[in-house]
Amino acid sequence: MAKRITIQATRFDPEKDTKPRLQSYDIPFSDDSMVVLDALNYIKAHVDGTLSYRWSCRMGICGSCGMMVNGTPKLTCNAFLRDYWPQPVVVQPLNNFPIVRDLVIDMEDFLDKLKSVKPWIVRKQEIPLGAGEHLQTTSQIDDFKQFSQCINCMLCYAACPVYGLNNEFLGPAAIALARRYNLDSRDQGLKDRLPVIAEAEGVWECSFVGECSVVCPKGVDPAKAIQQTKLDTTMRFVLPYGNRE
Amino acid sequence: MSLPAGEAHPALSNTYRWSMPANWWTRKRHYFFYMLREFTALPLALWLLWFLVEIKRAGDGPASYAPHSSALFVVFSAVCLAFALYHSITFLSLAGVIIHVKFLNRPVPSRLIVLSQFGLWAAASIVIGFVLIWFGR
Amino acid sequence: MEFESYDVLVVGGGLAGIRAAIAAVEANPRVKVGMVSKVYPMRSHTVSAEGGAAAVLRPEDSYETHAFDTIKGSDYLADQDVVEAFVREAPIEIIQMEHWGCPWSRDPDGKISARPFGGMTTWRTCFAADKSGFHMLHTVFQTSLKYPQITRHDEAFVTKLLVEDSRCIGVVALDMRSGRFDAITAKAVILATGGLGRVYAFTTNGNICTGDGMALAYRAGAGLKDMEMVQFHPTGLPFTGILITEAVRGEGGYLTNSEGDRFLKRYVPNKMELGPRDIISRAMTTEFEEGRGFEGPHGKYMHLDVRHLGESVIDRKLPFMRELGREFLGIDIVTEPIPVRPVQHYMMGGVDADISGATAILGLYAAGECANVGLNGGNRLGSNSLSECLVFGAASGRAAAHYASAARAPGSKPVDAMLWDEARRVEGAYLEKKGGEERIGDIREDLQREMDAGAGVFRTEEGLQALIKRLADLRERFQSVKIEDSSRTFNTELTAALELDYMLEISDTIAYSALAREESRGAHARRDFPDRHDEKYLKHTVAFRTGELAPRLDYRDVRITNFTPQARTY
Repeated sequence: MAKRITIQATRFDPEKDTKPRLQSYDIPFSDDSMVVLDALNYIKAHVDGTLSYRWSCRMGICGSCGMMVNGTPKLTCNAFLRDYWPQPVVVQPLNNFPIVRDLVIDMEDFLDKLKSVKPWIVRKQEIPLGAGEHLQTTSQIDDFKQFSQCINCMLCYAACPVYGLNNEFLGPAAIALARRYNLDSRDQGLKDRLPVIAEAEGVWECSFVGECSVVCPKGVDPAKAIQQTKLDTTMRFVLPYGNRE
Repeated sequence: MSLPAGEAHPALSNTYRWSMPANWWTRKRHYFFYMLREFTALPLALWLLWFLVEIKRAGDGPASYAPHSSALFVVFSAVCLAFALYHSITFLSLAGVIIHVKFLNRPVPSRLIVLSQFGLWAAASIVIGFVLIWFGR
Repeated sequence: MEFESYDVLVVGGGLAGIRAAIAAVEANPRVKVGMVSKVYPMRSHTVSAEGGAAAVLRPEDSYETHAFDTIKGSDYLADQDVVEAFVREAPIEIIQMEHWGCPWSRDPDGKISARPFGGMTTWRTCFAADKSGFHMLHTVFQTSLKYPQITRHDEAFVTKLLVEDSRCIGVVALDMRSGRFDAITAKAVILATGGLGRVYAFTTNGNICTGDGMALAYRAGAGLKDMEMVQFHPTGLPFTGILITEAVRGEGGYLTNSEGDRFLKRYVPNKMELGPRDIISRAMTTEFEEGRGFEGPHGKYMHLDVRHLGESVIDRKLPFMRELGREFLGIDIVTEPIPVRPVQHYMMGGVDADISGATAILGLYAAGECANVGLNGGNRLGSNSLSECLVFGAASGRAAAHYASAARAPGSKPVDAMLWDEARRVEGAYLEKKGGEERIGDIREDLQREMDAGAGVFRTEEGLQALIKRLADLRERFQSVKIEDSSRTFNTELTAALELDYMLEISDTIAYSALAREESRGAHARRDFPDRHDEKYLKHTVAFRTGELAPRLDYRDVRITNFTPQARTY
């Protein structure tokens, strides 16, 4: 007796629709390892070719396939159908973003925010290539390692009610990335990043809901990054000649 | 629909502007408890105001002040104590996330930081309680 | 009509593409560089690379050994002058990446660490835990944000290269958001579009690896070199095809068959699990055929065992593998062996390009996996590819910038007409098409299955002839493909159709090239011609497009400098 499962996916074509609606698909659930992404691929290949969504690596590293699955932001390549079956699975585009088409959201705001925190090594004086690498210990890497794991999937932005209510908020991933560079022993760009991080729409907009860290598929813990940044920027203000950290 | 090649479709900027539903905080357990945590500020503020009123009443003379006649205040205080405890416990539990210190070049585990915060809280409560009772005598 | 113009235009936003863009700007800060990618750059498939990037960084290592390892690994099909240049540039690129913030794993003294890897005689693979590609891609992408000269066109799908007077002058790209066709002209175009794994059913490659750049160059008249050389990586997870990095074997993992035997002792006794990928994939396939593989719901597999390494080594050196095992298989690799089998992974073949990325078409360059500069020959050694993207990405960026500084700007008149033609072609063939019976998904799945069967680890004349016939059928069926989505906004069915068109075309070059090479060399293994025949085939196969399905095949001698071809044993 072949198993089947119902997928309800958001449909929205701006050329035809004024607002999004859910469309139901009933498909075979043929293998226990099937994920929501497999279901979407099946629908597109065999049932309805008009369903649009982003995906690529299918192994949780490219960050393309983030969507709301039953109200929670998830990477659909890592959301197993067996965890939802026999209930229907509702797949919607990520919350808090404008919807371009079906399950595809507009991520330009996110990219602007990413760029605004100057996510590159800033040095007062570059050392020449011939001098070899900056020496860095494993312990120094551990300082920022967690915050370097972000795959830019934007699940954290979808989970953050602050971003949902105020699109100006810099947001979890951007702040975590800023902290990644601020903590990198090779970087000297803290001052360059401070104006963006420490402004009203920066870390201070965050009220520590913490849902971003709950949904992060890579364990980046952006909530921690933000709170630690708040503490650090405050200490910098209070003790301007104290330890840079 | 045939379009002259290279022409932009009129629906180009017709993205659907998604907005948060007003009841967003009822949809997830975590969001609800977050709002509860934030909400605790309100009963605490109200309690302080009421407390000031009670101080004024007590200032009218120790003989005329009978706390048990203000039973409502006691009940309200108990409720506010619950809120205050919830706020304090959640805040102190998160201290491990916020505070990052290194001892002997190794990061102090967050559990230790949280324990130290609770320890400080307990110590402070004991000291303040002692002082209050001492001066109460 | 949208009409952008650049000095250098990079097609593809992966490691090679972004590296090329940065190199162009650093070579000449006045060049305007455009970067077109069908996905946002951090989605490029570079991100999934795990193992590391090889370079000579230690005093006990030498350029000569890295070159020899690479040339021997290529089964002597590599152009040796290219290899010798590559090994000298790779270390500089590793240091450059470090300066840009790449979190290379370190030795206790703070210097960049290295791990052993397949086919390498010393430890020279630099790594960032086991997410090297992820860290490298994010490093170059984030670094590229600081150059105002680089303008990105994200989610723009290139459908055609513009060629005028035998010179490449730009591209036609479909803007996915709006459905608008744009002509983006440039004095120099660099193709960095990656591999073509999705022509196979079982591949490590992501959805976007459909060989776009190779097909574009082919249609513009460039040659595709050594297309028969397809790499099968020994250790992919069954069902999903997710890659289990060679670093697992580098750190000491064992491959065992259903008899618990470390069977590689019968195939590569000196290197064992650190033998080159082609030989190990053939070994595993042979073991399967002789009945010594495990049987599972998703086919046969072997065990890759790291239990003896211990939890702390795994967490430090292979954390992502542990994560993958847990998330996709529900196993903990610390206590259980990993099921693995050979999986298509990399394409040694690609756009015929020289040491600076230049193709036969003036103004057209190619770098990274989509190019074949002659580095990898018949088989690529693990961890050479990430270094390759950096070295030849940078080389082509500089060469393109240099060329663009002297070249005249393309004229606009013919471009208008070319844009119109191309837009009408795509609209007519897909968007406005009525009827059609075949679903894209069905044709694609058939293609993938046929390629797996006919052009897999082992090939035969009958298998390849059958494949060629099936490919012709599929092309026929594609003529009556059904497109249900006529929307202009983010039409992924249209892009899937365009990709399938590319995939069918380049699959032909693979099949014909494989049929014509009557020997076994590197990853190309013919059951009917099991030996290597240097006297006839120490040459590159170069496929050119003709009016028919069959390409015209030219042969070009391999360039030998210091290393005489020998028998390849490990």
